[in-house]
Amino acid sequence: MRHPPEDGTPPTFSRRAFLKGASAAAVTGTVPGALPTAPSGPTSYAPGSHAITLSVNGGERRLEVEPRTTLLDALRDRLDLTGAKKICDRGACGGCTVELDGIAVNSCMVLAIDAVGMKVTTIEGLAPGEALHPLQEEFVHCDALQCGFCTPGFVMAAHACLNKHKNPDRATIQHELSGNLCRCGTYGRVFEAVERAAGRKG
Amino acid sequence: MNPRREEHEITVGFAGNAKKIKVKVDDRDLRPWDLETKFQTVGTDQARADGVAKVTGRARYAYDINLPGLLHGLIVRAPIAKGTLKALDLEAAKAMPGVKAVLATKQPGARIRFAGDDVAAIAAETLDAARDAAEKVRMEFTAEPHVTDVLEAPGAPKLDQDGEVTAPWPERGAERIETAIQAARHVRSATYRCEVQTHSSLETHGLTARWYGDRLTVWASTQATFGTRAGLAGTLRIPAENITVHTEFMGGGFGSKFQPGIEGVLACRLAKAADAPVKLMLSRHEEHTCAGNRPGAIIQIRAGVNDDGKITAFDYRCWGEPGFTGQGGGTRAPSDYFRDTARRDTQDNVATDMDAGRAMRAPGWPQGFFATELMLDELAAAIGMDPLEFRLKNDRNEVRLAEWRQGAEAFRWAERRNKTPGQPRAGGDPRWLHGCGLSSAAWGGMGGPGARVTCRIHADARVEVRNGAQDLGTGLKTVLQMLAAEELGIPVAMVTPFVGDTRDPVGPASGGSVTTPTMAPAVRHAAALARRELAARVAAKLGVDAAKVACAGGQVTVEGGQTLSFVDACKLLGSDTVEVVGERFPNHQGYANSVAGCQFAEVRVDRHTGLVQVLDMLAVQDCGTVVARKQAESQTLGAMIQGVSYALHEQRIVDHLTGRMVNGDFLYYKLTGPLDMPAMRAILFPVANGHTNVGAAGIGEPVAVAPAAAIANAVFNAIGVPVRHLPLTPDKILKALARARRV
Repeated sequence: MRHPPEDGTPPTFSRRAFLKGASAAAVTGTVPGALPTAPSGPTSYAPGSHAITLSVNGGERRLEVEPRTTLLDALRDRLDLTGAKKICDRGACGGCTVELDGIAVNSCMVLAIDAVGMKVTTIEGLAPGEALHPLQEEFVHCDALQCGFCTPGFVMAAHACLNKHKNPDRATIQHELSGNLCRCGTYGRVFEAVERAAGRKG
Repeated sequence: MNPRREEHEITVGFAGNAKKIKVKVDDRDLRPWDLETKFQTVGTDQARADGVAKVTGRARYAYDINLPGLLHGLIVRAPIAKGTLKALDLEAAKAMPGVKAVLATKQPGARIRFAGDDVAAIAAETLDAARDAAEKVRMEFTAEPHVTDVLEAPGAPKLDQDGEVTAPWPERGAERIETAIQAARHVRSATYRCEVQTHSSLETHGLTARWYGDRLTVWASTQATFGTRAGLAGTLRIPAENITVHTEFMGGGFGSKFQPGIEGVLACRLAKAADAPVKLMLSRHEEHTCAGNRPGAIIQIRAGVNDDGKITAFDYRCWGEPGFTGQGGGTRAPSDYFRDTARRDTQDNVATDMDAGRAMRAPGWPQGFFATELMLDELAAAIGMDPLEFRLKNDRNEVRLAEWRQGAEAFRWAERRNKTPGQPRAGGDPRWLHGCGLSSAAWGGMGGPGARVTCRIHADARVEVRNGAQDLGTGLKTVLQMLAAEELGIPVAMVTPFVGDTRDPVGPASGGSVTTPTMAPAVRHAAALARRELAARVAAKLGVDAAKVACAGGQVTVEGGQTLSFVDACKLLGSDTVEVVGERFPNHQGYANSVAGCQFAEVRVDRHTGLVQVLDMLAVQDCGTVVARKQAESQTLGAMIQGVSYALHEQRIVDHLTGRMVNGDFLYYKLTGPLDMPAMRAILFPVANGHTNVGAAGIGEPVAVAPAAAIANAVFNAIGVPVRHLPLTPDKILKALARARRV
């Protein structure tokens, strides 16, 4: 879900056009490419506002969303969890990275209604209270940030990387973070921070 | 009234090249730090002051402001590149669900200057509702033929099939340069091109606005809190004192965010019209197409050189591509090579029906350095001289001459350079061609007056430093914190910096790499005043003569009596907080008025696909006194990475039929990403400037000047022919390789 199609083919429809079609036909299936005429899954949502419950950072949160509301907009605008950033809004920069059941996703490419029943972890939920996660400590230690706007996305992508790999080498880290963009140019120090955090974990 | 001045003798320059100079300093100011100053905190590695806020997601940017009843705004834009607005009907949009305000920004008859020019603005309960309403806005236009291809625009030079300008050199100022060209032993002429680059700040332009009656508070993503306040006051016609601008954090600007912009003004107008707070942030597509860019350029150079490598003539001509304004596309060649060279510089602009260019990180310099430094390597090749030797022969900057030597040694220039350009390494994979290149870097960025800093010392020994300017992520907060700690002789953890609130003392716009050099002397002065005030308060409490009490090195000493720790001295303050305001005095003549640097790059080029990969880069850069070392290094590395992006990847692609940018996103507008990262090293070259009490200079821009030039020269060294058109994409490399085979 994080990466554009492997073969590099451009998307053939815009998300908005798809969502509009989808909401008109009242569907729930949001697997990329699923047609609005072929609803699947247990629940259908008509256009308009719906009350849903999301499991976010260990708590149950009730909120109103439209079927077209992205998980990113739901987190940011409805739940005031603004750590995930809206940067490209098209799954190209990783700035909105959160974990769904432990797997990193671009939350701008997931509909809020599709996250129902899954465990959502945002940057705000990475470490409890005032404590920092080792990754966060290493990002500060290595100064792996400048303006900081991409930083939550990088920390979450790095967290998912360390979930997958016990002791990732530099190439693995680069690959796992390849869906994230930074404009200030912090990549090198981000890699160092992830390596150091991995070392501590190991 | 002329200020009273005190003369100090200070030691400036750099290790191995120290000089004693006399500086005349305002007698309220402090003796400048110099080469002999022993620092406790300055120049050390410290954690970024707002690092924890940023890694936890707690940092609130303008985009992150949520307020009760907040509405979401957007701008409706023209789809045509040139023409007039014929009709505009907003009624259907106003009737859409959730819509709270709709404004026209242009009336029928108004000119449309580029695809994306603003027409109307909408605020609604959600952004989706605002988008739905935008589709109901009925706009009609009278389109006119547009020109978005710079080569087709009026005033553009004609290029031949090899991309060389065919126009004759201008008449103006020709006599001296023609004579020098005629007299030169070797003459080369070539045309270079740079494409338009967008700033691509990750936080888009915009702000969140809230009115309280006739008072306005905005949270803005800006490089100029005070400029934004002034801009809003002027446009909205309300007193500046009624406006507060907050920018505690901001997600990148790179020169594009000095004004509130149409988006900022419209957020405020929509908020007024809807009587509710409004957030209006541009979309990624708008950010690419409507928020400025680094202008493209066509640069023609002819230069003469003698057998010994001395450049004797340098004729430089540029046609900038600044969009519809037709202004601001100038580029800049390095000057340190040409101090005693016959030289001419001709600048023109070519207007196109595209978004206007804006300042972008060293505006005009990366283009000019790319063209000039590549020409220098072509000249060096023509006379069979090593590019480094050629630089050492012509460079007249003594700081950079030392940097060239240090950099060449650290990079192992002599052994890594490809001795047989166009040929693969002996015994290596014949598919890959390796090469190394270099470039000079330069900038001013010495700062100037126009800043004040409040310093407070509380009874709990917490020290507060406050200034209303913004920290773009360069580390300004850390700089303020470290300098106050240094002057007070206390740990940095005892100092809390606050920035980005226009109710605090005035500070500069963050452009021209002036923020640290402007702010640093003011915070040092503030801390020194606070130190003296603390001593005076202690003297009063203890009932001793104030002249006998001194605060320095983190303690308060009574002459012939006791010594109190800083913490114990502060306890005597009670509720009577020390509060002083430090000044920024004008620069005096110090060691240098500019900074120097140089960069080295190694690339490999895939002969089969034309792909260029940067393998390794090194920068040696002077920024005067290094205050926050870790953050200064981060900024240096960041500017190099942005330079890789400019050299290899970034290009605005326009469909000239519709006049629209077709890659206005992050999928097809390629930024350098994690997989493209070379090895990279930044060496900060310490120079004591003594031009202020701190002697700091900026580092944001000088480093951004050189990477594309160094990489282009490395490609030249790898494949044996120069590729004179940025970005260095595979198509151009393959074409150059094919041409090289034909020759």
